[in-house]
Amino acid sequence: MRDPRSRMRGSLGLGAGILILAAGLAAAEPKIKPLAVGLSYENLSRTVVWKGDPDSSRIKANLVSARADLGFGKGIVLSLNAGLALSDFEDLTFDDLPISLQYGGSALKGLLVGAEVVAPLHRFSDFELSGTGRILAAFGMSKTWPLEGFAVEGEAEGTSNWMEAAVGPRISYLFFGRFVPYIEISARWLRASFKMTETLDDLTGGQTKRVSGDLSFSAALGASARVSDRIAVEAKAGILPFAGGVDSLVSVGILYKF
Amino acid sequence: MIMPLARFPKTAATLLVVLCAALGTGDREAVRPTKRVDRHTLRQALRFRVERPPAVRRAASYASDRVLVRFRPGIDPEYADGLLRSYGFPAVRRIAAIDAYSVRTARGVSVTETLAMLRRNGDIELARPDYRTRLADIPNDTFFGSYQYNLRNRGIILDISPEIQPQTTAGADIKATPAWDAATGDPDTIIAIVDTGVDMTHPELVGKMLSTGRDFVNEDMDATDDHWHGTHVAGTAAADTNNATGIAGVARDCRILPVKVADANGDGFYSWIIDGIIWAADQGADVINLSLGGDFDDPFLEEACQYAHDQGAVVVAAAGNDGIGQVLYPAAYDDCVLAVAASDYNDAIADFSNFGPELDVAAPGVWILGPAPQWYVGEENLPYLFASGTSSATPHVAGMAALIKSAKPGLSVDDIMKIIRYTADDINRATDPGLDDHAGYGRINMERALVPFILK
Repeated sequence: MRDPRSRMRGSLGLGAGILILAAGLAAAEPKIKPLAVGLSYENLSRTVVWKGDPDSSRIKANLVSARADLGFGKGIVLSLNAGLALSDFEDLTFDDLPISLQYGGSALKGLLVGAEVVAPLHRFSDFELSGTGRILAAFGMSKTWPLEGFAVEGEAEGTSNWMEAAVGPRISYLFFGRFVPYIEISARWLRASFKMTETLDDLTGGQTKRVSGDLSFSAALGASARVSDRIAVEAKAGILPFAGGVDSLVSVGILYKF
Repeated sequence: MIMPLARFPKTAATLLVVLCAALGTGDREAVRPTKRVDRHTLRQALRFRVERPPAVRRAASYASDRVLVRFRPGIDPEYADGLLRSYGFPAVRRIAAIDAYSVRTARGVSVTETLAMLRRNGDIELARPDYRTRLADIPNDTFFGSYQYNLRNRGIILDISPEIQPQTTAGADIKATPAWDAATGDPDTIIAIVDTGVDMTHPELVGKMLSTGRDFVNEDMDATDDHWHGTHVAGTAAADTNNATGIAGVARDCRILPVKVADANGDGFYSWIIDGIIWAADQGADVINLSLGGDFDDPFLEEACQYAHDQGAVVVAAAGNDGIGQVLYPAAYDDCVLAVAASDYNDAIADFSNFGPELDVAAPGVWILGPAPQWYVGEENLPYLFASGTSSATPHVAGMAALIKSAKPGLSVDDIMKIIRYTADDINRATDPGLDDHAGYGRINMERALVPFILK
């Protein structure tokens, strides 16, 4: 059985290759305006096993970001986005602390930055094959919680960061012109860390939980619709199946093209 | 011999009722030159390899390969069965009593997909995940529910004898049952009972002994109890639990190392205690229970406790039963010993419990049911007795320390002592809020120490 890391490297390498190939094979006539700006919202969930944990827990994130799409020659589009990440680490337990803590609260705020590339590779009839690549990083702000009910004063402080990289092919159906549905398959690699410290009077402890590289695959259906010459709306919904369940992703966005 | 359970209500009145005032009676002013006892080698504790379960992804709290289904009224069971099988489910089982089916999902099809598929069928009224359950970890020991208010108090009437039937207050307990969901102890975690010895043939203890221990009174390697005190203490700390017999112990799966330092009258000398503490520490005891003490400060005794502490043992000792403002030694050694006061079934501090600034915590110590040697209670009685005293409170704390050590073996002794202190319930906050001389930080709360705190 192959090592997941080597599979991940293979997948990412394949994705990178697809994108490089795209530069040479893309359609000559760019269909994308050179610059577009807009807003995006994305909701995703990802079930992971943190290092040392016997069971899995789920990372849920709501991402709101401003976005700028830059069109290049041969149909290549680079999207850059920055905004707010609200990350929820459902049931994540810190068992190595003197008093075990379990995350069960509101989402942690953080700064979101990301980049995505979509590059057309090949067109056949009304279909177009593209390569996609994306990297997304959320840098969490620290949050403190009072530890109430103890005989002494105490608090916990947590900071989380995570990063996801995804690559894969996209097949678009161009028949409708202004409305372009597509299907997208992605290999998604996730790295995350969550540092928690605990202080109860003179009793202190700290623990950092990590996901050092979790690979998952998603299948998504999406569409891009040009509402007018300058305004486009995008939406995507997908699943990330795993043994015993399924995670999900949903995103919507609106773009104004200059 | 244990009497049949059915006979217990009748014989309950005959249970020996002992208000233990044994502490500090024999060893006061008892001084004997300390001597070094020849080291004996005990059989090493068996090493258990703890297998971590493999890391697996787990969906929500339901089975990953089963769902529960009910058809609309009027659907013929044969038709329903056939319909389910037509979906390709490998196993279909009818639960006739509630007119439902347990269905194993098709290979490669998730529960979510299966439920979505079934819910689209108009004949199906209800399709639900097969949710996981969690053991409500209530042990089946005979007397757990009716007598062990100290571990879980539901506001029962404590039927000790026709004359003694106090009403208890719900919640005046150490919250053992929720804590057991988090930890029941590790057989590698050893509680040394430094006392009058232990009845190693008692049904509650026979399977819990690390070895036959050490007897510093008779200077041999057989710490059999010729009193009753040590047996009772050992049972409170770590009696065999969930064995459908007798009582539950606090540190259910931990083991006991008996060390005899008091004679058949309950009397002992500092030197015996010193030897017992050092010997227990050298054997690798994780917790040392000292339900005993004396009135006099003694540097040798303090150094023995410090030695055990430095060797990695949590030392727990009784405050004393004189109702006076002087905590006994070694409990009074603040830096290296946890001093334990006694509370009752209403979370009040027992009037006999000694007090002072050295107190760390309180634990139930009034009418505590525990094991006793059969020869002591007589053949006509069950081998249990009720006892009161800080002696009975102390093994609750020792058991809790053992559970914390089992769950988090990397913690230092000082950290375990702090956890026990800081997670206590301030039971006398109305009169003495915060840390005080009567309850210390308060009555221990195992749930708060062992169950994860939810960050909201």
